[in-house]
Amino acid sequence: MNTTPSPALLGRVAALSVVIVFLQIGVVSEVPVFGVNADLTSLLVAFIGLLGGSTLGASAGFAIGLLVDLSLLQTLGLTSLVFTLVGYWAGRLRELRDPQAALTPLLVGAGASAAALIGYSLVEFLLGVDAPVSFELLRQIVLGTLVNSIVAVPMFALVRRALSSALPEDPRRRRRRRAYTTGGLSPLSKA
Amino acid sequence: MYDKTVRRRRAVLGLLVVLSLLLLTAYFGEAPSGRLHAVQRDFLSVVSPIQDGANKALKPVRDLFGWVGDTFHAKGQRDELRRELDRLRPELAAAEAEKRTYQQLISLYHLERLGLSDYHPVAATVVGQSPNFWYSVVTIDKGTPDGVRVNDPVVNGEGLVGRVVAVESDGAQVDLITDSSMGVTARIGSSSATGLVVPKVGEPNDLLMRYLPPNTVPVKGELVVTSGTVDPPYDSLYPPGLVIGEVSSFSEESAYTSVNVRPAADLHNLDVVDVLTSGGEGRAARLTTLTTTLSAGQSQGQGSQSEQLASTGAGG
Repeated sequence: MNTTPSPALLGRVAALSVVIVFLQIGVVSEVPVFGVNADLTSLLVAFIGLLGGSTLGASAGFAIGLLVDLSLLQTLGLTSLVFTLVGYWAGRLRELRDPQAALTPLLVGAGASAAALIGYSLVEFLLGVDAPVSFELLRQIVLGTLVNSIVAVPMFALVRRALSSALPEDPRRRRRRRAYTTGGLSPLSKA
Repeated sequence: MYDKTVRRRRAVLGLLVVLSLLLLTAYFGEAPSGRLHAVQRDFLSVVSPIQDGANKALKPVRDLFGWVGDTFHAKGQRDELRRELDRLRPELAAAEAEKRTYQQLISLYHLERLGLSDYHPVAATVVGQSPNFWYSVVTIDKGTPDGVRVNDPVVNGEGLVGRVVAVESDGAQVDLITDSSMGVTARIGSSSATGLVVPKVGEPNDLLMRYLPPNTVPVKGELVVTSGTVDPPYDSLYPPGLVIGEVSSFSEESAYTSVNVRPAADLHNLDVVDVLTSGGEGRAARLTTLTTTLSAGQSQGQGSQSEQLASTGAGG
């Protein structure tokens, strides 16, 4: 399987990343839900990894994290580090398990959000921020994960729609699709 | 072929992680005037017009979501505001009396009254906000040409919002009062006891007022305002009397009293803010002049002061 992403795919990932980051900073961050904000950027990184593999996921995570840190004058490298790992993890999940269940985007979104929020907190603690591990902090993490899970499914549909035509054909999926359409594994063929 | 793919994948991950750690270490270790900070500021000047444009284009979407949220909370807010109105009516009557006394004292000492308009407020629109609860940062659309400078206080109709931390030609970055880098000298309501209001990091909806004298007895719901301390070279950046929030609870902590403060400004729904453009150095200079005036006025008006207080009833 060729793992080198095509220029078309890279272009789409870059355009989608810029749009989502500005949408996040300009709109989503200013609309609290249950007292927290949805974080589309961590979902974007996870879904790029899930659709494009670990190398693309990690690279996109690094670039998106850098864009977020630069745009918001945050500690440079922090979001990049967390998002690189999130993107890589989502990509490896696809390469090892290739999950196809309908709930996959929701679970991957929840996992990526929780990992990002916990990752931020851990790095902030390591950097010496004087903050207690309080109930409020845990509440923020749980609620943030919950809110992100709600928007994960439409977000996955958006990312897949934006990238699908530029994604390389995956032999495993082609085999699976052929099996279903030609009747080999289709439940309808038993009738 | 497989080994090559695995090696490449691992190399990319390792490279990106190392690069992130290098950036993190270099950024964390350098001064705010360092190279990486300068790159960030330059980037801000590039993206500010884009953020501004995107903010204007997407405002209807944000308003729609905001309207839905507001509708859900409207009934609860109405009941809460009614209770607050009932509570504040007697306080207003008392405040009116105190205001008259204050005005008389101002004229007695020939002092200049410092209203917010004296700090040359510049209205700015919030065009970006951090999604991460560890960072309480917003971007505004006013910059150097509008007179905005680093450390200028930022307020809105509800109270203190934060201070400017970086300025470019097309915009500026504001650290909110809930950001881990903030600390504001403040006092509780009418008491003279001052403390330091700091964020409860990781708890974006709460502030903590520390180092209050142990005999301070805060009352729940009492307002916490900026003290505007004048103590060169440690003058407060903020004008006195700006509302920061209200007391939500308090605890005795070792030798000091600690008070939990709920911010007055709704920091999640910032739309338009005012930057007090002569809030930093200009304010310090004015306050120094005021202090001098006050010292001179005290020696001259010592006799008439007691008369004035007696006539207003404040002298007991």
